[in-house]
Amino acid sequence: MTDSTAVQETAGQPAAPPPPSYRPLRAGRIVRRLGPWPWIGPCLILIVVVVLWPIVAMVQTSTQNITPIGVTIGSAGFSNYTTLFHNPNLPGILARTVVWVASIVAITMVLSLGLAQLFNQRFPGRRVARWALIAPWAASVMMTALIFRWMLLPDNGVINVFLHQLGLVQFNSNESSWLGRPDSALAWMIGVAVFVSLPFTTYTLLAGLQAIPGELFEAARVDGASRWRSYRAITLPLLRPAFLVALLINVMNVFNSFPIIWEMTRGGPGYQTNTTTVFMYNLKQSFIGQAAAMSIVNFTLIIVIVLFFLRVSRFGRREA
Amino acid sequence: MRRRLAAGFAIAGAALLAVAGCSSSGSSGSSSGSTTLTLFGADYGTGPANSTTKYWDTIATAFHQANPSITVNVQTVNWNDFPNKVQTLVQNKQFPDILEGDTAPQFAQSHLLYKSSQVLSPAVLKDIMPKFLKDTAYQGTPYGIPFTTSTRALYYNKKIFAAAGISSPPTTWAQLQADAAKIKSKGFIGYGLPLGSEEAQAEALMWFLGNGGGYLNSSGKYAINSQANMQTLQFLSQLTKSGDTQPSPGTTDRKDVWSEFAQGKIGMVGGQPALIPIIQQAKVLKSSDYSTANFPGRTGPLASTLGVHDDIVAFNTGGHQAAIKKFLDFAYQNKYQLQFAREYGLLPATQTAASAMSSNPMFSAFFKNIPTSVNYPSYPNWTTVENQIKTTLGQAITGNPQQILNSIQQTALSGG
Repeated sequence: MTDSTAVQETAGQPAAPPPPSYRPLRAGRIVRRLGPWPWIGPCLILIVVVVLWPIVAMVQTSTQNITPIGVTIGSAGFSNYTTLFHNPNLPGILARTVVWVASIVAITMVLSLGLAQLFNQRFPGRRVARWALIAPWAASVMMTALIFRWMLLPDNGVINVFLHQLGLVQFNSNESSWLGRPDSALAWMIGVAVFVSLPFTTYTLLAGLQAIPGELFEAARVDGASRWRSYRAITLPLLRPAFLVALLINVMNVFNSFPIIWEMTRGGPGYQTNTTTVFMYNLKQSFIGQAAAMSIVNFTLIIVIVLFFLRVSRFGRREA
Repeated sequence: MRRRLAAGFAIAGAALLAVAGCSSSGSSGSSSGSTTLTLFGADYGTGPANSTTKYWDTIATAFHQANPSITVNVQTVNWNDFPNKVQTLVQNKQFPDILEGDTAPQFAQSHLLYKSSQVLSPAVLKDIMPKFLKDTAYQGTPYGIPFTTSTRALYYNKKIFAAAGISSPPTTWAQLQADAAKIKSKGFIGYGLPLGSEEAQAEALMWFLGNGGGYLNSSGKYAINSQANMQTLQFLSQLTKSGDTQPSPGTTDRKDVWSEFAQGKIGMVGGQPALIPIIQQAKVLKSSDYSTANFPGRTGPLASTLGVHDDIVAFNTGGHQAAIKKFLDFAYQNKYQLQFAREYGLLPATQTAASAMSSNPMFSAFFKNIPTSVNYPSYPNWTTVENQIKTTLGQAITGNPQQILNSIQQTALSGG
């Protein structure tokens, strides 16, 4: 802006000989304009190579006819998509994915609100307790899932041993095979997913809680507000940004979650514990093109969810 | 200022180079008369100590000493990741020269392979067990070379049998169920039935064969939803519901029941010789504590059992035919065939090695079964059918067997 006004001013002056250093000046300007590129350039290249290019490759793959061994034999048009949408297993898998995401995120958010509140109180050993909460987060999700699978083994898993001692289940019975029945397997896997989601969510909410100035609560107390009232009128509204961030990241994480289901049931029996993410991987064994189509559908779904969410949350902010 | 700019450009340039460097790795080929072959194989070992990479490296080193102009680079990957890795290599056109493992008929269909006779001397090729070699044919011409083989039998735990008062292994389904019930009453698992995704297609076929069924009918056409197969699944479902197997066969993998058999918790399980090293490693059962018998069928023991072969195929994409031939002739030597069989408890693929080994009482029963063994279908679309069987067949135990078999049959008939 300032550059262009400067040019106009000089243009308004009576004709003056062009400055002898005109060309070098322009070169200098170009160099100055290019100045930021060395710094943002690598970053942009990285985004293009690591984020954009795979998306392009995925779209390409989803329209190709690829044999199960990986040989591309030509274009498939949209037939990968139509075959995928006619797959009799897909409706159940989509419904299960909704249940999977909604239940895990809801349970995690509610539990984390309570946990964050607890960790925001002063109590002896708080530091240790806060550190301990990191454990499920620090441990590899795959390891956690594997350990839960072992704990649920029908003949000597520690959970079954415990229940057996209470006289509730028999070893090697249908009841002790928690991961063999789709409904109980899903319930356990939702539990594990909540377990590994809690630390991040709790810490995000805890950070939000710590950012609320204490004077507000003092003022509320002076005004005679009850604890519940001040929680609803002060804590929750001010916690909103942290809450929304945690919610959004959890939705994306849980939707894309793969290792828990893969390690605990491989999506079985049949397709009965597949979510769309696991189903995509299962499809890849025989139908690479359809698996890519499923990826695109997943990608689109998550983009739509995020856009919808951003829109709704901005409306909320305007109201406040 | 200028110096900082220059530094910035330098960094950007370096980043570009690094990115470019990622994509141009892995060049192989022949320069100045020397050839580099790549061998990609499945890993049959249980860990780094007995990795199959070691086996191939021994051969590659010895071969390089004899033929200094040819170097063989070896890479193996565990069975779980093997199909995926091969798929990725092919999709990215990074074909190995030699591939060992589960080799699909589609490679030949896609014109990616040398014929078996192009990469192996006639004398060596004649020594490969013809039964299995014939199986690798695409349109009548063999494109694969069987490398390691196995057949199946029923393993039973003699100690558990004695405790349950069973004198001899079962020969019919009814006997198997009665024995399994007796074993169960002693607190063990009667029969270990793995219909999970690892190898449902093998376990199911052994049961289908026992009822005169299978994946193909007598004229070699897919007949997966036959009445015989249907009845078989009904029997297995009833066997499971009676509690004579472990719970949830549909999510149980072969490795699970094998390791439990090795720990002495299961009375009977279907197995191949590769179970022997697992039993030895577990150090629970002595060799006198278990034995093998012919797998029982509905009315009598199986006349023919499942035979499986893993093959070597040679890709023509690198154009290294002469070097590959030299290496394969070297690698199929008797001592290497025997070394592999001993290391992993499998059977060799050459007749010379087989006759050298068949005197071993541990393996003699498995060798006896080779001539009559039934192999998987060799249609190009078998891989797809097999994947569907692995994923869905286990549901037949609790679900609707007819519907599941119909759906698999539909896939089988829908071409390659």
